[in-house]
Amino acid sequence: MVFAKRSTKDLIIGKTPFFAVLAGLTLLPLLGVGGYWLDVLTKVNLFLLVTLAIDLYSGTTYYLNLGVSFTFGFAGYALALLNIYYGIPIEYSIFLAVPISVFFSLVILLPSLRIRGVYFAILSLLIPIVFIGIVTAQPFSLYLGGEGGLRYKQLFLDFARSLPPGIRLTFLQYSYYYISLVAAVIGYLIAYKIGFSEFGFMLRAVGQDEELAESVGINTLKVKVIGYLISSMYVSVAGALYASMRSPVTVDLVVPANTLVPPLTSAIVGGLGTIIGPAIANYMLLLTYESLWGLIGRWRVIVYMLLLITIVVIKPQGLVFRIYLDLKKRLRGVLLE
Amino acid sequence: MSEILKCEEITKRFGGLTALNKVSFNVVKGEIFGIIGPNGSGKTTLLNVITGLLKPDGGRIMLDGTDITKLEPHKRVKLGIARMFQGMRVFPYLPVYLNVELVARAVYNNARLARAKTSWALTMSGLLPEAAELPIKLTPYKLRMLEFARILVSNPKIALLDEPFAGLESSEAESMIDLIKKFNSLGITFIIIEHRLRYLMKIANRVMVLNQGVKIAEGKPEEVVKNPQVIEVYFGGETRK
Ligand SMILES: Nc1ncnc2c1ncn2[C@@H]1O[C@H](COP(=O)(O)OP(=O)(O)O)[C@@H](O)[C@H]1O
Ligand SMILES: [Mg+2]
Repeated sequence: MVFAKRSTKDLIIGKTPFFAVLAGLTLLPLLGVGGYWLDVLTKVNLFLLVTLAIDLYSGTTYYLNLGVSFTFGFAGYALALLNIYYGIPIEYSIFLAVPISVFFSLVILLPSLRIRGVYFAILSLLIPIVFIGIVTAQPFSLYLGGEGGLRYKQLFLDFARSLPPGIRLTFLQYSYYYISLVAAVIGYLIAYKIGFSEFGFMLRAVGQDEELAESVGINTLKVKVIGYLISSMYVSVAGALYASMRSPVTVDLVVPANTLVPPLTSAIVGGLGTIIGPAIANYMLLLTYESLWGLIGRWRVIVYMLLLITIVVIKPQGLVFRIYLDLKKRLRGVLLE
Repeated sequence: MSEILKCEEITKRFGGLTALNKVSFNVVKGEIFGIIGPNGSGKTTLLNVITGLLKPDGGRIMLDGTDITKLEPHKRVKLGIARMFQGMRVFPYLPVYLNVELVARAVYNNARLARAKTSWALTMSGLLPEAAELPIKLTPYKLRMLEFARILVSNPKIALLDEPFAGLESSEAESMIDLIKKFNSLGITFIIIEHRLRYLMKIANRVMVLNQGVKIAEGKPEEVVKNPQVIEVYFGGETRK
C-alpha cells in the first residue's frame, strides 16, 4: 500500500557491504593473519555481541544498562564453576552458563526496570562492583578464586593435545576465531531482524515516550523485560564464549572499563538504534585500540581515554552510521550508472 | 440511558494539593461530554486517572460495567479507552504510519488486521500522503490528525480529547469538529476538555464544570453557562461571548 517495495538492485547494493566484510573476515586467516591479531579479532567478534546487546536495548529504550559487564563476567564465572565443581565439559558448560547468567541478570535488575535515567545507571553500575567485592572477599574467594581467578581446561584443549605439538596453538586460535565469527554473524543478523521488527519499534516507542507508549496500548513493562532478556542473552553468550577460550576467568571480566565502556562507546559513536552503525564502530574502535598497543605500548590507555573524552565533548553520536549512509549512497551512484 | 463510563467520587492528591475532590459523573453511550474549568482545575488530572496514568487516592471507575480502577493503562486501551493528550504527543522518530500501526498491533494481535486498520485510519484522517514521513515534518493540524488516527485505529468505545482545538486555526478547528461529529455518529462516545467554551458549545451534549478539583455544575451547555457559580469562577464575574 503506502510503501514502495525495494527493488532487487537496491537490496543487492544494500547487502554488498555486509558480504564484503563477511568475506574479508572469513578469509583473513587464510591470508596469513594469525597469532596476536587473530586473537584480537576473536575478541572483537565476541565484543560485537555486547555492542549489539547494548544497541538493541539501551540504544532503543534509552534505559542505560550498565550492568552489562556484570552479565558478561557472570556468564564466564558460571561456565568456570559448572566445569570445576560439577565436572561438566566446557562445550556443554557454555550452553548451561547462558541461561543461568540471563536468569541472574534478570532477577537482579528486574526491580530497576521501573527506574529511569541516572538512577538506573547508578544501580546497574553498582552491581558489578558488588560482584567484584564478593568474589575477592573471604570466604567466597576460596570458591570463586579471588584475585587470581578460576582455572579450568579451555575449549578443545584435550583435542588439541592429541595433535602434533607444532599445530596445537594454531588449531586453537583458528577454531576460536571461526566460532567467534559464526557467533558474530548470527548475532548480527538476528539483531538486525529484531531491531527493525515490530518489537524493535515498540522498544523505540518506549524510548521516545514511555508514558505515551503505555497510553496507546503497549505493554511497556513486558516490552522492556523481553528486550532486557534478549540483550542479556547476547551478553551472556559473549561472556561464556570468551571465558571458554581463555582460562582463568578473573574479575577483569566484570570490570566496566574492560567489558562495558568499549562496546558502549561503539554503540554511541556508531549511532544508537541503528544496529549497523554500532557494528561497524565496534570493529573500527577496538581494532584501533589494539593497534595503539603496537605503536605506543602502555600509553595507549591514556590515548584511548583522551579519545573517549573527545567523544564525550564533541558528541559524534551516530557518526559512523552517517558516514556509512553517505558511502552507500555513493556506492549506489557508482553502481547504477 | 446506558452509561459507558461512571466515575464515582474520584479523589486525587498531590502532596498537600487536592487536585480532584470526590468528583462523580456519568457519561452516556453515544454522547459528547464536555469538561470545562479554568487552568489548574484538575481536568487533565481527571483524564490521567481515567486512563490509568495516575492512581486515584479514592473512588471508582467503571467502563461499560467493568471496574477498571486498578487496571494498567495499556489494558484500558484494549477495553476501549483512547486518548488525545494536551499538547501534541507522538513518537517523534517513528514514521507516521508506525505511530498508528503500533497502536493497532497492541490492540488487535493480528498483523494483517492491524495493517488494514492502519491504512483505514490514515485515510480517514487524511494522512495517507505523509504516511512514511517523520512527525516532525507535519503541521500542528496534521499532528492532531495523527493523534486522531491513533484514536480511530484502536476502535474505542470512548475517546478522551484534552484541548483538541488548542493551537489550531479556526478553519482547522472546524474540520476537527466535523471529524468528531462524524465518528460520534458512527458510535464513538467523546469526552472533550476545553477551557475556551466557543467550540465546546457547538458540539457537547452535556458539560461538567470543574473548579479547584471540585465539580461545581453539570448540564446542558446553554444552561451551565447561565449558572451564577460558573459565571463567578469561570469568567471571574464578567460574561464573555
Ligand atoms: N503530576 C503532578 N504532580 C503534582 N501536581 C500536579 C501534577 N499534575 C497536576 N498537578 C497539579 O494539579 C492541579 C490540576 O492540574 P491539571 O489537572 O493539569 O489542570 P488542568 O488540566 O485543568 O489545567 C494543578 O494545580 C497542577 O499543578
Ligand atoms: Mg490540562
